Amino acid sequence: MRKRSILIVDDEDNVLHTLRMVFENEGYEVATASSCHRALEILDDGRSFDAVLTDLNMETEDIGLEVARAAGKRKPKPAVVICTGFATMENSRESLDLAVDYMAHKPVELSALISALNRLISRHRDLRGRR
Amino acid sequence: MKPTTVPGPPQMALVVHPDLGVVSALQSALAQKGFTAIIARDLPTALLAITQHYLEIAVVASHLQENGDGWPLAGVLHLVFPRAYVAVIDRVEPDILTLQAAINYGVREIYQQSTPAQDLVSSILATFEKSSPGARPTVQ
Repeated sequence: MRKRSILIVDDEDNVLHTLRMVFENEGYEVATASSCHRALEILDDGRSFDAVLTDLNMETEDIGLEVARAAGKRKPKPAVVICTGFATMENSRESLDLAVDYMAHKPVELSALISALNRLISRHRDLRGRR
Repeated sequence: MKPTTVPGPPQMALVVHPDLGVVSALQSALAQKGFTAIIARDLPTALLAITQHYLEIAVVASHLQENGDGWPLAGVLHLVFPRAYVAVIDRVEPDILTLQAAINYGVREIYQQSTPAQDLVSSILATFEKSSPGARPTVQ
């Protein structure tokens, strides 16, 4: 079976580095972007990901929602996960409206995040396989 | 030529709420919009309904026997019927943690219990019909 792939977007190098190690250790093929701008470029390149995991506050407040929006329009749609230390009513509401698949509040419990991503990716692949 | 609606199987909805008044009002509002609504007032009945019907809409109270036990049921409905519109009825206005629960359980919308049944169903159908344009097939 094809390796699971994930695009991780966060403007903090240490977070990006840690998450890359964690997900590579889980057997994922990992791409990273340290800004919303770079993430959108990667998504526009047409490369396909099983999941996109993004921070919210990067170049500006809540700009990670743009990554979630762009990822949600991709076909096939990847699992879209938001990981934030600054959840508000507004960004949570918008995440729900964008049909984000999972929202984690920092500090993130890694085992819960990995488990959620594994479940979401298996489900997305299963649904695609049934069509 | 004008498209003609093809009659298909009835569209099914599930309403799970411990309050008989709420389930009756929602059942009636859904029936007026052409849905067959199955009602359940507890978890075992809801699980039985899940095994016996193909659901397109599910409306679940966040509180069935105890506070918050409706959320995992909403999550199960999302897993079993991935294209269904799953909504949760809560007693209070949503806060950040409630919105997070909705996202993580695959719930599409949270409604307050005070929302009139007709308004709630109209709101659900507005989104449901937008996201399921093929729900009622047509022929040219």
